[in-house]
Parts: sequence; C-alpha cells; structure tokens
Amino acid sequence: MQVQFNNKFEEKLIHLTLKIQKLLLYRIIQRTLLLIFPFALFGSFIKIIQTIVLGKEGFLTDVFPTIDNDFIYRLLENIANGLYNLSLGWVSVIAVFGAAKYSAKYFNRDDQLAGITGISSFLIVDYSYSKIQPISFHPQILGMRGLLFAILWGIFVGWLFKKCSKQIPVTQSNNNVLERTFISLKPIIFSLLIAMLFSTFINITYYSEAPGNFINSLASEYTNNNDWSQLFKTLIFSIYTLIMSFFGWSGTYSALGVEKMDVLSTANLNYALEKHTAWNAPNPFTSSTLYHAFATFGGTGSILGLIIAILIISKNKDFQTVARWAMIPSIFNISGGVMTGIPILFNVIFLIPFILAPIANMLMAAVAIALHLMPPSVYPVPIGTPGPLIAFIGTNGSWRALIFSILAVVISTLIYIPFVKMAAKVKTLDDLGLEEGVK
Amino acid sequence: MRREFRKNKNVKYLIFLILIFIILGVPSYIWTRKNVTTLAGRYNSPMSPIIMIPGSSATANRFDDLVKTINNQYGEHHSLLKMTVHTDGKITYTGKVRANDNQPFIVVGFENNNDGYSNIKKQAAWFNIAFNKLKQRYRFNTFNAFGHSNGGLIWTYFFEDYFDDSSISVNHMLTVGTPYNFEEKNTANRTQMLHELIKNRDKIPTDLTYYSIAGTQLYTDDGIVPLGSVDAGKYIYEGHIKRYTLITLTGSKAQHSDMIDSEQFINIFHQYVVDNGMNQTPNKKVPKP
Repeated sequence: MQVQFNNKFEEKLIHLTLKIQKLLLYRIIQRTLLLIFPFALFGSFIKIIQTIVLGKEGFLTDVFPTIDNDFIYRLLENIANGLYNLSLGWVSVIAVFGAAKYSAKYFNRDDQLAGITGISSFLIVDYSYSKIQPISFHPQILGMRGLLFAILWGIFVGWLFKKCSKQIPVTQSNNNVLERTFISLKPIIFSLLIAMLFSTFINITYYSEAPGNFINSLASEYTNNNDWSQLFKTLIFSIYTLIMSFFGWSGTYSALGVEKMDVLSTANLNYALEKHTAWNAPNPFTSSTLYHAFATFGGTGSILGLIIAILIISKNKDFQTVARWAMIPSIFNISGGVMTGIPILFNVIFLIPFILAPIANMLMAAVAIALHLMPPSVYPVPIGTPGPLIAFIGTNGSWRALIFSILAVVISTLIYIPFVKMAAKVKTLDDLGLEEGVK
Repeated sequence: MRREFRKNKNVKYLIFLILIFIILGVPSYIWTRKNVTTLAGRYNSPMSPIIMIPGSSATANRFDDLVKTINNQYGEHHSLLKMTVHTDGKITYTGKVRANDNQPFIVVGFENNNDGYSNIKKQAAWFNIAFNKLKQRYRFNTFNAFGHSNGGLIWTYFFEDYFDDSSISVNHMLTVGTPYNFEEKNTANRTQMLHELIKNRDKIPTDLTYYSIAGTQLYTDDGIVPLGSVDAGKYIYEGHIKRYTLITLTGSKAQHSDMIDSEQFINIFHQYVVDNGMNQTPNKKVPKP
C-alpha cells in the first residue's frame, strides 16, 4: 500500500518505526499490550470509582456529599478494590502470559504451557517474604509498573522453551497432552528455579530498603531558592517521569494529582493562607504549580490532547474506538486504557509528543506565571480532579488559570495531531493488531 | 474542510467532553470558593511522625533497639532521627528522616537528662525548641507521642505549658512507667509536680487519646515506679481528654527499664502508636491473591 509523506521528518520517523516494528521483541511487546487492553480499560473505570468517589481525598468525595453509611462504604470499597486489583492491578501477570505464549509460539514450542509457566515464575519472582500474610506479592510489580519487566520475563521464558525443549510434533496423532507436558518439563523446571533465585534477591534488596528511595529523596529533599533552577529541576523530573511512564514505570511525579505535599508547596500554601491570595507565592515553579496543574491532562503525557486529536482527525477505526472508550477515565486523569489500547507504551511514534506536549504546556504555564498573567496554583486539589480544572481549583477559581488550561489542551492537541496522522500511516503499512502480527 | 468537520460523527463526543468539564467545573468552583476559607485545618501533609522522649539518664539512643525491632517484626521501614538538645538550646542531630517516609521515628534526648521536677521543667522547655524546629522543617500537622518514664512527664508539661494545638494535633500518646507522683505510692500524698500538672490540665489538647502503661512486679511497682504513681496520671487526663486508658503489664520483662523490650509492649506500641490513622503508605496494602 502506498502512503504519501508530508515531509522528510515524517518519512524518516515512519521508516524508523517500521524498522523497529520488524523486531521480534517489539512485535511481542505490542501484541501483549493489546492483550492487556481490555483489563486495563475495565480497571481504569474501577479506578475512577476508587479514587474519585471512595478515596479520602478524592475529587467527588470533596465536591459531593459523602456516603455516610459505614457498612455500605466498606462494602463498595472492598468490591472496587477486588475488581481493580485483579484487572488493572495485575496487568503484568496477564502480560507475562501473553509475552511467554507469543514468543513460544514464534519458536514453535508449546505456547499454552509457556504462558502458564510465565505466570507461575513471574509470581514467584514477585513473591514477598511477608511476615504478616502467608501468601502475598509486592503489589507494585503486578500492576503497570512491572509491565516492562513482565514482558521481558515472558520472552525469556519463551526463549527457555526454545533452548531446552524440542519442537512440538505437528502431526495430530502424536499431539497428546502428556507427551507435550514431558517435552516442556525441562524449561518449566528451569524457569521456576531461576525465578526463585530472582525472588530471593529481590526480597533481600527490598527489605534492605534499597530501591526507589534515591530518586525520591532527590526530588523532594533538594530544595533551591532560585526560581530558575527550581524550574529546571521540575522540568528534569517531569521528563524523567514521562520517560518512565512510557516504559510503564512510574516516575517521581504521580499522574493522579498531588498525594503528598512537598516542602515547597506547603510553603506556597502557607503563604497563600496568610496573604489570602495565590499571587506572588514564594515558589512559583514547583511540581504542583507546573507539572500537576498543566502537564497531566488526561493522565501522564497530556493524553487528553491525544484523545481529542484522534476524535477530530483520525479515520482509523481502532484508534477511534479506543479513544471513545478511554475518554471517560481520561477526564479524571486515568490513562491506563489509552496507554495499552493505542498503544502508547513503547510506541516509538508517540514517544515524541508524549514528552513534548507536557513540557510545552509546562513552559507555557511557567511563562504565564513569570509574566504575572496568572497566579500559580497553590491550594490543594483533590485527587482525580479533571485535568483542565486543576489549575482553576488550585488557584481558588482564577479565570485566567482556566483560560490557560484551555490553551494547554489546545496546545497538546495540536502537538498530537501530526503524530496521530503518522501513526495511522504506519498502521496501514504494517498493522501489528492483526493476528499475523507475531509469527 | 469545514463541511468535513461537521460530518465527523465524533463531534458529538467532543461536545460531550466539553459538557462534562462544564458540569464538573461548576460544583468544584463553588466548592473551592467555600473551601479555601477553612483550608488551614484541612491541608494534608502526609507525614505523621512518632516523637519519642526517653526517660531520665537515658540518651537519644535509648530507642534504637525498639525501632529496629518494630521494623524487623512488622516488615516496615521507618527511619530514625535522633536529636539531642544541649543545655544552651543548641541541637545536634544523628540519623535522618528518609524523604518519602510518612511515619518516621524522631527521638528527642537531652544533654542534661537528670531526674527531678526542676529538671523536667527545663527539659520541657528544651523539648519545645526541638519540637518547633521539627514543625518548621517537616511541616507535619499530626503526630503521635511516646514517652518512657520521665519522658511522659516532659510530654505532659510540654502540652500544658508550650503546645499550641491550633495548627498541629497530637493523635495518640503512649507512655511507659511515667511517675506522675514520683516515688509516692499513695495518691493521697500529691507531690508538688502532680499538684501543678493537675492544676494546668485544661491546656492539654482535648482530642488526645492516651494509653499509659504501668509495669508491676509483685502487685505494687515495676521495681522503680510504684503503680500508684503511674495511676495518678488519671487525675490529670481522665475526664479531660478524649480517651484515657491505663494498661498494667506483668511478666518477666515488666521491670521499669526492661519493659520496652517486652513482646507485649511491642505489640501495644505498634498497635496504638504506629498502626493508627495515618496508614496511607501504598506498599502496606498487600492484596490477598
């Protein structure tokens, strides 16, 4: 199929993407993402209920009256927790199944057994040596955070199947279950044992408090009085967060609003409460005035801009379906659906706008604050507040902040539009969503 | 182009999107307007430290083992900051509060850690210096208090004479073997200190929940502090604060100084001081498979 390119850059990017799409690793990743999409989408709807209606600091719990009945509240909370934990909360387990299955299938090995072995061994790696609960797992690794690791682990299991077992005989008569099991016995045992080694290692490091603290301590402890270095620091950590989210991890800043107030934001708030205004707050360029207020519309990476861009210009059916479905969770900054459905995760084409759009919005906001066109958002904003309303609420209802928020939506949409077009072209040339995507 | 846009059936989705934002925007605007006036009491600092004061002649290192035991036994990662206030009001620090630790242990010890009412008054004043430093530095708005022996007296004196609960609130307090009536067994004989503490009790924050532990060996004392002296705390707290509970601990480690190593004590400590209210650390939520 022939496709017309608008300019050199587009042509290059599309060719690069096509080349990367040829890689086995990449194909498996993309197929796996499509597999987890329905669970991610369902989970993100549950997440809306969890954080916005039930959560202590949720958006609607503050705005609308709370559920007074303790019993009903508990019941709802438990139901939502259960549904969430076993949909979006364990996408990595589904991913490891998919990755192991697809790679084993590619190598003509037993894909069913590979998938199941993937799940078992992944859960062994994630097994937590808890002192309180008999069977428990590190929950972060089961969710989106563990996605990259899960996919790589699944591919590793698939590769073990290739290395340690024969091909599955093709003839129907030989294809009995017991024989297949014994062919695959060696890789199954190996995967589980290697998983056990990993697991021990992870638990030792986990309990020695090693992981994660370093970056976090940099982000919240190192404070600087100079506004511009503060701006620089916020930008750096935003980019770090964006790149991490692109790989399914989470960076220093959470997409779901400000759960924790850092020292600078607290100083801002104290100032505002004292002077009864947000203007001239002492720290204008913190993560909550820039990143949380302007760069998380629709979730990490200004996904709302992408959804609007798709709704306006895309003719691709798949994109449109995903965008329509993911629209509602995205209003509350929950982006799990789009991330896996389009998919955005690991998608070379969307890497650029995924970083560019939030950064552009933050710079716009920084300029507007520096020129005193709007006050910085300093007041606490409930979790899950719709993106374009965060700055509005955070400035105690400043209309200028609202106008700049709308401008930010427009900017991110404009940034996403050319990339949506490119993604559609790549799709017509080589659609990974089709069944022959892997193989 | 325009006609094409009008034909685009996604227009209705876009309009729907805009409508939702407006529908959600109006009530939240009203809410913020109403909310900002009462914000001072609401703003949400994630940190709720556990502030501990050791008894007389103990240093800020007194609770090292306790913190280690809590972390090991419950698989938690609380960090430990130790402060020593010198007689001239200067403070030396050891250890640190890890950045994303919402429930650090902070121990405040004193260079002059002698016994006696006059020293306790001084120590409360020094503690106030340390407390203000902490408040300024970490900006928490709730905390839990723990005092061992005279540490409980310092807390009480601090609450009565220095503490201002308009911006900060104390959730739970736990003390072990705090001699509200010094070595006096009979609560009818009130020491000057008990007398004054009772007189000023109105300044103690009324929303406090207080657990006082008394150790007994052979029914009367924990080897140093008589049961009656710990029990005398009821004249200060009972009927004034939200909840006052006296717990009597017996058994092999019920001796005054050993108590904080006792298994029973560690359970009580974890239940009432560590494991309440502010447990929002996400890695604590272990889903059952």
